[in-house]
Amino acid sequence: MESNKKYWKGLEEYNNTPDFVKNNKNEFAEPLPIEDVLNEAGLSTVTPRRDFLKALGFGLGAVTLAACQTAPIHKSIPYLVKPEEVTPGIPNYYTSSFNGQSILVKTREGRPIKIEPNPNAGEFNCGTDARAQASVLDLYDVSKLKAPVLKNEETTWTKLDGFVKTELAKAQASGKKIRLVASTVNSPSTNAVIAQFVAKYPAAKLVQYDAVSYTGIIQANQNSFGKAVLPKYNFDKADLIVSFGADFLGTWISGEEFTAQYTANRNYKSLASKKMSRHIQFESGMSLTGTNADTRVPVKLSEEGPALIALYNAITGQSLPGGTLGNNTTADKVIKLAAKELAQNKGKGLVVCGSNDVSTQILVNAINAAIGSYGTTIDLDNPCYLYAGNDAEFNGLVAEMSRGEVGAVLFLNSNPAYDYLDVKKFEAALKNVPAKISFADRADETASLCDAIAINHNYLESWGDANAYEGYYSIVQPTINPVFNSRQAEESMLIWADAPVKNYYQFVRSNWEAKMLPALGLKWNDILEKGVVSSAPKPAAAYSFTQSLAQVATSIVSSSKALAKEVELQVYENIPMRDGKNANNAFLQELPDPVSKVTWDNYVALAPKYAEKLKIKEFDVVTVKGTNGYSIDLPVLIQPGQAQGTASIALGYGRTKVGKAGNDVGKNAFPFVSFVNGTMQYASSVTITPTGGYYELAQTQTHHSFEGRAVIKEATFKEFLKDPAAGNEKGEHKDYDLWDQYEKPGNNWVMAIDLNACTGCGSCVVACNVENNIPVVGRDEVRRRREMHWIRIDRYYSYETKDGDVTKEKEIAKLEDLDHVSVVHQPMLCQHCDHAPCETVCPVLATVHSSDGLNQMAYNRCVGTRYCANNCPYKVRRFNWFNYWNDSRFDNYLNNEFTQLVLNPDVTTRSRGVMEKCSMCIQRIQAGKLAAKLQKRPLKDGDIKMACQEACSANAIVFGDANDPNSEVSKALRSERIYYVLEEINVKPGIGYMTKIRNTDPSVQA
Amino acid sequence: MRDISMILKSVWKSLFVFSAISVIAVSTVNAQDAKEGRTLFRAKCSSCHALDAKLVGPALTGVTDRHSEEFLLKWIPNSQALIASGNPEAVKLFNDNGKVAMTSFPELDEAKVKDILAYIQEGEPKPAAGTEGAAGASAKDEGTSGLSIAGIVAIVAIAIVILVILGRASKLLERLILQKQGIEIEEDVPLKVGIRKMFKNKKFVMFFILCLIIALGSFGWMGMWNTGVHTGYQPVQPIKFSHELHAGINQIDCQYCHNGAFKSKNATIPSLNVCMNCHKAVQARDKYDGEISPEIKKIYNALGYDPETQKYDESKSKPMEWVRVHNLPDFAYFNHSQHVVVAEDAIRKAKGLQPNEPVCFACHGPVNTMEEIYQYSPLTMKWCINCHKETDISGQKNNAFYAKVIEAHEKIKKGEKITPALLGGLECGKCHY
Repeated sequence: MESNKKYWKGLEEYNNTPDFVKNNKNEFAEPLPIEDVLNEAGLSTVTPRRDFLKALGFGLGAVTLAACQTAPIHKSIPYLVKPEEVTPGIPNYYTSSFNGQSILVKTREGRPIKIEPNPNAGEFNCGTDARAQASVLDLYDVSKLKAPVLKNEETTWTKLDGFVKTELAKAQASGKKIRLVASTVNSPSTNAVIAQFVAKYPAAKLVQYDAVSYTGIIQANQNSFGKAVLPKYNFDKADLIVSFGADFLGTWISGEEFTAQYTANRNYKSLASKKMSRHIQFESGMSLTGTNADTRVPVKLSEEGPALIALYNAITGQSLPGGTLGNNTTADKVIKLAAKELAQNKGKGLVVCGSNDVSTQILVNAINAAIGSYGTTIDLDNPCYLYAGNDAEFNGLVAEMSRGEVGAVLFLNSNPAYDYLDVKKFEAALKNVPAKISFADRADETASLCDAIAINHNYLESWGDANAYEGYYSIVQPTINPVFNSRQAEESMLIWADAPVKNYYQFVRSNWEAKMLPALGLKWNDILEKGVVSSAPKPAAAYSFTQSLAQVATSIVSSSKALAKEVELQVYENIPMRDGKNANNAFLQELPDPVSKVTWDNYVALAPKYAEKLKIKEFDVVTVKGTNGYSIDLPVLIQPGQAQGTASIALGYGRTKVGKAGNDVGKNAFPFVSFVNGTMQYASSVTITPTGGYYELAQTQTHHSFEGRAVIKEATFKEFLKDPAAGNEKGEHKDYDLWDQYEKPGNNWVMAIDLNACTGCGSCVVACNVENNIPVVGRDEVRRRREMHWIRIDRYYSYETKDGDVTKEKEIAKLEDLDHVSVVHQPMLCQHCDHAPCETVCPVLATVHSSDGLNQMAYNRCVGTRYCANNCPYKVRRFNWFNYWNDSRFDNYLNNEFTQLVLNPDVTTRSRGVMEKCSMCIQRIQAGKLAAKLQKRPLKDGDIKMACQEACSANAIVFGDANDPNSEVSKALRSERIYYVLEEINVKPGIGYMTKIRNTDPSVQA
Repeated sequence: MRDISMILKSVWKSLFVFSAISVIAVSTVNAQDAKEGRTLFRAKCSSCHALDAKLVGPALTGVTDRHSEEFLLKWIPNSQALIASGNPEAVKLFNDNGKVAMTSFPELDEAKVKDILAYIQEGEPKPAAGTEGAAGASAKDEGTSGLSIAGIVAIVAIAIVILVILGRASKLLERLILQKQGIEIEEDVPLKVGIRKMFKNKKFVMFFILCLIIALGSFGWMGMWNTGVHTGYQPVQPIKFSHELHAGINQIDCQYCHNGAFKSKNATIPSLNVCMNCHKAVQARDKYDGEISPEIKKIYNALGYDPETQKYDESKSKPMEWVRVHNLPDFAYFNHSQHVVVAEDAIRKAKGLQPNEPVCFACHGPVNTMEEIYQYSPLTMKWCINCHKETDISGQKNNAFYAKVIEAHEKIKKGEKITPALLGGLECGKCHY
């Protein structure tokens, strides 16, 4: 049975626009101007001959000079006193934490160059996200301040301390308030420092303010169960997950952790035991989580509340008012089915909601209590401390500031002048504060309004700790001396508080040695080595919901009605940029959004049909105006799957004072956030009017097209249960073989990628960038299809056609189906084909095959004919159009003496005119082999891990030796689900993909 | 083709050296022995003897006049045995020198003792421009400094002038003899006319052009091949560090300073705290009239160390900027530990190293005789590849890592030699990534 699904990467491919067809023929978007040169005018002019002679003369001279060159003078400067643990050429690994997640930092000769997950973290060892991978670049960011700043001038720490102490004393004496505004602080040591600070200045108080807030859930739990916490969610214990707009695989609370839990029930190992969870997603914008859902139902933002009421009513049999979904019949149908299944699977279901509205979250609590989630899939007794921000408290602070009640304010890891919903109000309020101090590492939007900037360390230069979950602590330790003249914020506070211990290392250590370590029976060095300590989790109790929901329902219905106007706008965090704090990170800016594949910009996402209704085409610039009068001009992106009548804009863009790479990239969408019913609300109603402008977004989605060849195979879970090879039928074709067969007597490096586990989050892309010195090319170059990523994640849309034959007319007639597209993410990298078509066409043998199954690329041999890229059926080869690491045009991104410190010294930086592609992290293979040789032992499975594999939270990538029948990858490759992309052209790829399985129910086929 | 250039090169070189040596043809026949003797002397004798000063033992200049060679050949390897045997000359010598027993050197055979005696006889070599240069050139393969080339050219020029003069003289004499005998000779054709005539001779012109082409061609060919090859490269280092003294005479293990070579890709230049392990005490004051050696002082200065107070002042420290001698291109990956640890036995065997020689000598040459370090091997890709093609690594079977790999290969190549090339050691990705 051949699948009758049609897959397409973007609407231009779907509609086969003339531009797409034209571009698709060429591997490279811009051909060389050969014809201009060879036409008659070109030949008859005088210049070619003269130019030729000039070039000849210069070339001859240059060659002569080069030949005369004696020997290069390369300085080699050893340590004066070498630290005992450092051996040049050998990496050292240190445990640390990034945003509460335990990590290993790989350093070479004292420079942190790579972030890896900490295998000691146990339950919380779940890969790393793109932000963590890219964070090494922030350490070397040249846009940071190099010394502390006082009144806009660089100063010394002594002067700054003098100033701040006087101001704080003044504020304390005046009887006014002192406020420390910080993103959620979950570090025990930082909290102890703040306690000392408050002891010295009793007028001081910590105000936790998160740019993207979870106050709604925290207050709902306080209201429902008397516990003001974020619960610990256990997606691995849920057989049925129903999500209302919660992007839990991406940006919601702790995406990597949830990804690991979620895929544990859906990956090849789980499928081998015939087990797979079901996931239903209701949302308006297409989120990463939505693309992975078995059933995704687009609902308007204003329908979300009524949908939850309807679900509650259906489960409990009650009849709360407002549970009507109007004309969204699909949603209605799916809710009824979900309710039935949730009621059947008591204790094995989980309902989550992305809303920050307290009433909505109370209703979600009621539903979860009704289906018995508490104690199984939701754990309120081991809560999560990643977010503790209080919206009302910060809003109150702004009011206090404008009333002149605040004498001094300090900003730690917070930037309200950018991410507060009313920047003008905040700036005006800030003017009424006599002393303003920021701990930012750069003169950002808030810091530049402050009197003093006590520049803080990067986390890789810091001491510290984190407490992400109840009973789970991780350590932060410095891996490099401070790059600039910065000082850790905690140390600054200790100095200003005249604390007895001013050295923060001493402080953290004595804090641990006094409070934590004795109980655990551990020494300080143990915790530095392991990086984490966790105590046995408390038993998770079941909670029952007893309150009346009448008022809640009224509140939900009235906010839903308030929203249902013009265009319903959702502002959301996207994976690369999140809340915009890392906006100057070029790796993240160039990471394509997992769904839209847009880089370097945010945009207004509209559904195809809705855009047609508004008479807007893709890339038309529109003005989006909020009810508060804020308006921005942004290009439109046509997004299949977006709910009709809604628009989505990503947060985190439009920074103005973050640095060279991130300034003025996209537009700021935070002002569309509104403060309603005591919390920040991320849905609002806006008007959209075209400006007549046109702005091409730098999208990577259709750059490397398979031209409609079948590269995705999928089946439903039901079909899979009947036949594990469902959807993986081999087509009838005869194999012709032009190649000689070679044995692979040693190792045979191969990979298996589980399409059912891959969520498309993109952390592998950044991990690969950092590991392999892959340059950032910038927006303009991406528009020219010159992005350099060695691994890309192809995102395919598809939908089921009821009748077998697919003709173009019919497809277009069915345009409404574009609301209900399903999505497959496919990581695509060099397939290391045994019969590699690229190898046969290389005129200089720069790309050849190795005896261990790798397709190798010798950069110093490559002359840049690009024949290989033209002949690669997978389109995974990348051409260096510039010397990206050494070209002033790319100074904004990576080319400067500081960011070059992030380079991996084991990988060549490629120069202009050279082709490159995935090397299967050959430096890691060689290092793994050498380690085994030095220890005189055979290579073990798992000794060598690819950078992409290591970063993957979902364990979707398995790498190993196919010659070892017991290796993980050999086992994976024996799965019936394994297929090879474009198997029929018989290039014998080394990477097997496992069919995508969807746990859909035919009765709710969207 | 490379070999041809090498041959040409060596022919050129030997021509130069031969002419130089043949012209001076003086008493440097023993030079090699004396040189060897000097090394031996510094290794074995110098802790108790000097040439012109009495240390523990007597000054040795003129020792060959004071004692017969026969006696010395017995005395030096084992003086105690000679004294015990009651040899009067030996007993007298023992008593004259405060009855301090001299260490026995059973490892010194007759030839070695003769080398040492040759060195004592000749004394410390004087730095004479011509001879020193020629000797240096022959000893160091590529160490031809500008001075020595100039010396050779001068010698050759003088030789040619002498030859021409002698030729003219003999011709004149011959003519005089013939004239005396009354035989008439034709008048000499004027030189200018002769040359003009010669250039009208097509055969000669052809020959001349051919020679020119061959000369220029081989010169160009050599130049091209050697572009970027820096064999013999010996940059000036910030400290005149002598490997001969440290690795040769003092027999310090390579690993003591270059400890990275055995675990890392980098051999590593030692950090200065390693130098201080010895040089806190060793200051070579005896050679500099009680002052600290200026070279050792450089270490102190870089570290901000004050030898008087024995304290470090970090604020005064500054980095030591060595000049890298062995440069590989950025796109080539080389790992020391792979070669000196994993493949040590195979490399030793392939390069024929003695058991007492460190494996490092295989590529870095006789470091223990290098006054200042220079690049010994060409470090070209061909050089790498050749070794990978030829080295027999069947011995690696003892390493469990290779056991599986080699087993697989032995199935294919029964009994044949196994080289790195067979295990994929010639694949681009092994060194270029």
